[in-house]
Amino acid sequence: MDKIAFLMKNIRSMKIKKYIGLATLCIASLCIGQRASAQFLPNSYFNVDWQMNVPLGKSFADKASGWGMNFEGGYYVSPAIALGAFISYQTNLENIPRQTLTLSNGSALTTKQKHAVFQLPFGVTGRYSWLRHSVFQPYAGLKLGAQYAELSSYYYIVKHYTDTWGFFLSPEVGVSIFPRPDYRLGFHVALYYSYATNNGRVLSYSIDNLNNFGIRVGVSF
Amino acid sequence: MNGRTLLYSLVVLLAASGTACQHEPSTSDFYGDYMVYTDHDTEVDFAAFTTYYVPDSILLIGNRRKAEYWKDDRAARIISTVTNRLDAAGYQRTTDKATATFGMQLSYVERVAYYVGYDYPYWWWYYPYYWAPEYWGPWDGWHYPYYVQYGYTAGSLLIEMVDLSAEPLENVPLPIVWDSYIGGLLTSSEQVNLDRAVTAVEQAFIQSPYLGRTVTGRNAAR
Repeated sequence: MDKIAFLMKNIRSMKIKKYIGLATLCIASLCIGQRASAQFLPNSYFNVDWQMNVPLGKSFADKASGWGMNFEGGYYVSPAIALGAFISYQTNLENIPRQTLTLSNGSALTTKQKHAVFQLPFGVTGRYSWLRHSVFQPYAGLKLGAQYAELSSYYYIVKHYTDTWGFFLSPEVGVSIFPRPDYRLGFHVALYYSYATNNGRVLSYSIDNLNNFGIRVGVSF
Repeated sequence: MNGRTLLYSLVVLLAASGTACQHEPSTSDFYGDYMVYTDHDTEVDFAAFTTYYVPDSILLIGNRRKAEYWKDDRAARIISTVTNRLDAAGYQRTTDKATATFGMQLSYVERVAYYVGYDYPYWWWYYPYYWAPEYWGPWDGWHYPYYVQYGYTAGSLLIEMVDLSAEPLENVPLPIVWDSYIGGLLTSSEQVNLDRAVTAVEQAFIQSPYLGRTVTGRNAAR
């Protein structure tokens, strides 16, 4: 069995945590570099969201999942247009009943599996907002960047996985809700679609592109 | 809440989220399942084999250096499952090891908790120790003509087919041309383990349709 990763998942998790930690530091440094005020950081916004993600099409792990979050921040370069950065992560799972897989080079495997797709996109984001000084502030946005994705099959005591990288694109519409617009601490709801060019092969499964849609709910400030 | 407090809260929230971002699925329900992996040398013509020899016991691999053999009714049932499948595939069992065209060796991993690499325990330096090359003839060691990677846990059954059709020679390793690794045979019930082992052995042959003397024999083995 080629590339079997016995008990390697902890090591992989540590690497992902490292990526997230670096991104956290970057976002934090952006924040710290600016003077806090009653409006927090003038002409900027931050979102911290929980997200529910639904894989689309022929997915390696097709079950909707709430194991994900999104972090982003931006600066309004004009009264309506903001540019910034984002990072998010998401895990989707699927139970695969026992089946026999014909593997390469004459081998075969019969087992139950659990598939997992872990996606970690990050990059730049832009949005166009309307009614910026009202309670409800709708916007339309677009995220562009790179996506790391780990495609994993768990079976018996084995985790069999492949690491992939791809280009990431995600249009989004949402609304920020500020009960007191002058205070700049409110809620955030968004709908998104995402497309990434990640492709890879795990056991006898071939994955080509990752498509998702989902909803984000969180705080905005 | 002033801006600085909010900022610090954000950093803490981000850091906390980052430590738990990748969700691993629960695999506890795999305990109730077995796994069957098979592999073979694709260059071998399995229809060319005619007779086979199977020892009457199963090697037990534990933490002791001394070889132990599993030879009771349960072991006999597992061995008979193998021989029934081989008979159905058109091969003929022989009690004369010297005339067999291939041999089948069965090993049960009893106590080894986990293994990767040939370093520990002592057993694995010489695995398959009991099925030493000398057991089959004057061969010089073992040889897998295809890529293999071992990682066994307790409760695993290994079945290997050795090619005895060539004249044994010193300095020539004995080729293992087919192998099966069955995992998940370690429940608290011996009967469940036995039933699961028999089912899994059947599956090992089902997913190896190339084993057989003829097309008819191969179909019968399914």
